[in-house]
Amino acid sequence: MRRAALALSLIASPLLLPAAAVAQEPGVLRVALNADIRTNDPGVNRDGNTDAVMMHVLEGLVGLTEKGDVAPLLAEKIDVSPDGKAYTFVLRDGLVFHNGQPVTAEDVAWTWKRYLDPATKWRCQSEFGGKGQTRIEAVEVTGPRTVVFRIDKPTALFLSMTARPDCGGSAILHKDSVDADGKWKGPIATGPFKFGEWKRGQYVELERFAGYRSLPGPRDGYVGGKKVEVERVRFLVIPDPAATKAALLAGSIDVAPDVSADDLEELKRRGDITVDMAPTMSVSGFLLQTTDPLLQDVRIRRAIAHAIDTAEITAGVTKGTGTPNASVIPVPSSYYSAKQKERAKADPALARKLLAEAGYRGQPIKILTNKRYGPMFDAAVLGQAMLQQVGVNAEIEVLEWATQLDRYLKGNYQMMSFSYSARLDAALNFEMMSGPKATQPRKVWDNPEALKLLSEAMVSADRAKRQERFDRLHGMFLADVPMLVLYNGVDISATGPRVKGYKGWAAGQPRLWGVTLQ
Amino acid sequence: MLRYILHRLLMTVPTALLVALAVFVLLRLVPGDPAQLMLGDTATEETLAELRAQLGLDQPIAMQFLYWLGNVAVGDLGRSITNDLPVLPLIFDRFQVSASIVIVAVVLATLVAVPAGMLAAWRQNSLGDLLIVGGATMLLSIPSFWLGLLMLLFFGVKLGWLPVVGYVSFGEDFGRALAYVILPIATLTLIEIGVITRMARAATIEVLRLEYITHARAKGVPEGRVLWRHALPNAFAPTWTLLGLILGNLLGGIAVIETVFTLPGLGRLLVDGIFARDYPVVQGCLLFVAIMYVLVNLLVDLLYPVFDPRVAAE
Amino acid sequence: MRVRANAVIGGTLIGLLVAVSATATFWTPYDPLRINLRARLRPPTDLFWLGTDEFGRDVVSRLMAGAATSALVALLTVAAAVILGVVIGVLAGFVRGWLDRVLMAVNDTLLAFPGILLALGLMAVIGPNKWGIILALGLAYSPSVVRVVRATVLSVREREYIEASRVIGNSEVYTMARHVLPNCVAPIVVLATSMFGWVVLAESALSFLGLGVPPPAPTWGNMLSAARPYLDQAPWLSIAPGLCIALTLLGINLLGDALRDKLDPRMGAA
Repeated sequence: MRRAALALSLIASPLLLPAAAVAQEPGVLRVALNADIRTNDPGVNRDGNTDAVMMHVLEGLVGLTEKGDVAPLLAEKIDVSPDGKAYTFVLRDGLVFHNGQPVTAEDVAWTWKRYLDPATKWRCQSEFGGKGQTRIEAVEVTGPRTVVFRIDKPTALFLSMTARPDCGGSAILHKDSVDADGKWKGPIATGPFKFGEWKRGQYVELERFAGYRSLPGPRDGYVGGKKVEVERVRFLVIPDPAATKAALLAGSIDVAPDVSADDLEELKRRGDITVDMAPTMSVSGFLLQTTDPLLQDVRIRRAIAHAIDTAEITAGVTKGTGTPNASVIPVPSSYYSAKQKERAKADPALARKLLAEAGYRGQPIKILTNKRYGPMFDAAVLGQAMLQQVGVNAEIEVLEWATQLDRYLKGNYQMMSFSYSARLDAALNFEMMSGPKATQPRKVWDNPEALKLLSEAMVSADRAKRQERFDRLHGMFLADVPMLVLYNGVDISATGPRVKGYKGWAAGQPRLWGVTLQ
Repeated sequence: MLRYILHRLLMTVPTALLVALAVFVLLRLVPGDPAQLMLGDTATEETLAELRAQLGLDQPIAMQFLYWLGNVAVGDLGRSITNDLPVLPLIFDRFQVSASIVIVAVVLATLVAVPAGMLAAWRQNSLGDLLIVGGATMLLSIPSFWLGLLMLLFFGVKLGWLPVVGYVSFGEDFGRALAYVILPIATLTLIEIGVITRMARAATIEVLRLEYITHARAKGVPEGRVLWRHALPNAFAPTWTLLGLILGNLLGGIAVIETVFTLPGLGRLLVDGIFARDYPVVQGCLLFVAIMYVLVNLLVDLLYPVFDPRVAAE
Repeated sequence: MRVRANAVIGGTLIGLLVAVSATATFWTPYDPLRINLRARLRPPTDLFWLGTDEFGRDVVSRLMAGAATSALVALLTVAAAVILGVVIGVLAGFVRGWLDRVLMAVNDTLLAFPGILLALGLMAVIGPNKWGIILALGLAYSPSVVRVVRATVLSVREREYIEASRVIGNSEVYTMARHVLPNCVAPIVVLATSMFGWVVLAESALSFLGLGVPPPAPTWGNMLSAARPYLDQAPWLSIAPGLCIALTLLGINLLGDALRDKLDPRMGAA
């Protein structure tokens, strides 16, 4: 009987339910997220999605600008001592936490004490604890709004490090974010949104924080023009990209922050969907294992560089949205000079000649890739075809992502289609792929001379001097070909007809301030 | 009878242990670990070692297994590595979603498919038979993700009748919950109809050839009664065995449907867990699925004699 | 003669499949792997009969090349599953006792194991190639065969003619081979033909997860899964391999029915 009733209601329901089911709630901005966030504890257990959501709630002393530089956020003013070992931050006046309490220097000191305690499991603890770039020796409160950070040695990267979104922006938190035992409860921070309801595996809601005071000026990265125009934001977890597209077309979501280049034409044609494109700082290309018996011959690596038409692969993978770039410094960076634009010319004849000189006899070269990240797969397929044209016996091996990552970290590959996420400084872009392979097998480029140039660029704060080092590094990088950089990512976002003012940016993450609902 | 049931329930223990061990070994054989995935391309040797120690992955594997087993014995399946939630409540939560969809779909599919299969068998090689077999074969050859997406595009986007993404539990709001599960249930039902129809048809053809059916017909028993009283119960028996299989398979294998329709079900939990190398979640899910599976099949076997008089109580 | 109709249609479809696969080994209209980014996603024309895919490769050529791989993988997988399943199922159902219990416990373990994890594990060991897929899927599907065979054996072993065979003094093995096994043929053929379809589809699902036959070598399964993002933009990409899978399944099923009728011992007696 009940079964029959259920069956009956199943048949009848499409006629009764539509209006209720698809209704849009006013004042709620619905944004797609392809996986649930991990925790709301800043910089502890996180991934890209976690950062995307949490950076609406969290704010640190400094933040990232539109071009990826560092600028004051909660701090009004930053003074660096002449020896580069003391940073004095003065907090902005009138700042309040989500619970209404004022933000004081004591809160800054408490927050940092918690971050630097290994028990917090803050992922950036090691960066500031001496194993990474620098060690914080003391955080001193010298006035109601003044804090001094003392570090062990000067570095050009101290402020950039504290602004890292994967460290939770080193956000300043109120003591009540943890309970009496120091256990995490939830973020009481200072961002333009408060953390709202979180239904695991389904959605995360953020609420507008009425007490928020934005920095003046236009929208600028994570720091400027953070005026919230909606009451609530709901991040809906939709793992399947095709379902995300369907949801956008059906009006079930308002913002799809990251759509595939394949859908670009179709979305543009519709008229009611707004598409926005922003170049990002991620770096995609082929890694070439310089210790491989075959690829250790630089002539073969150069042959590969000349066989592959960077411009054509970029056009094919990004469907014409990306800019070809052979430098590890991304195009939007302020260090992207004329010299960085140089790249190996596509020249099949030269490639064949180099192969012949190296005595290549058709040994197979395996390109590792995966299906989780479509662009990596597409690049591998196109690269294989181009290599085959010059007589290289290129094969593709598709791995599951976790397996490929394992092979990357162990350096166990010949050639790999790979992407590096955005780094905050040009020096870090070189650092991510250079280093001694003996102790760090994941490193791609093991050239002592280059490492020396790089360490100089890491310490110096002199812009011109750094630029000169980077330009020399790029020249050496092109000669060594440990990696073939192809392009920087493009963040394609699509918004529904209700949304005005959404704009992507170089970090490739959504920003939902300055966005209005009609 | 009671002894038999008890015996079968006790048999669950070695099965569960076997599953646990196999999962543990297989998971550790597969390259990649959760620490690597959490750090991604920003991993360094130091941060990796630190995170592995935090997660207890630096212990010898045998120790990890015994430690986990000890906790399972007292009902603690551990916490998820990805989101730090306790695994057991997580599984129960997700299971409700999957179970409601699978059970409704299989019941609906059986209600359609068994009569269809019998009809086809009864009028074997007629036009009706051809249509039914052809239809069932077509349904069998459609990938579920393809059919699901098609339904989504048609009913959700083109017609706008049903919501495209999201989920509301039946406890919260029955009407809205229904709207969210109609499409996944319909997709699953269609796919299963293909399988069950063919099974029911084959079984009925077998039964209709047996002597007692011929006898009954010779004695002048009306055709409807022959089908209803003699053919249906016998034809249902093998189909019933298959139902157990389908239910068991679906519990673990509806991940594709759950992904297309963004349902927070058990299948997706498992597959996400595998890809994220979330060991406690994968181990917990598989243990749970294994036990559910044994229970469902016990139920199927217990009810088997009801449908097939030839296998009387043991 | 009704059997003939089944056999003729089924035979024609499968014959076509074999012919196409054979032709593809030495001739296809275009190179199935040849990429042409200037001819992406072209609709069917007289130049490309079924259009081109997302890399500008000719769909007809890829379908032809894929036929051989798909059919081979599916056939070998089903064969592996059936052989394994029949041996274990008959043993469990006929011998019974503790052997039955142990076998069924192992069987249930395997059944409860999701194919994806099994495939992941085996491919980590064997490497991502078609043998890994065949082994993983064969192992994953054999427990279903075991269950169905065992159920059939259980239901026939009590019948009079089995008893009779024993009474006359025939050995257990002879009884099993002569009288029990033939009864399993019908359900196995039905299951095996369904399974053929599942395997083709499972290969497509595995491809979708990046675990199928490695690209760029085409199979119908990986063509279908690759076509998914273009469902409304380039529907021919999905329809063409989908239709091939469906027709092959129809052919296999019809042949299966014909085969079953021919093999069924009681059909001969009637």
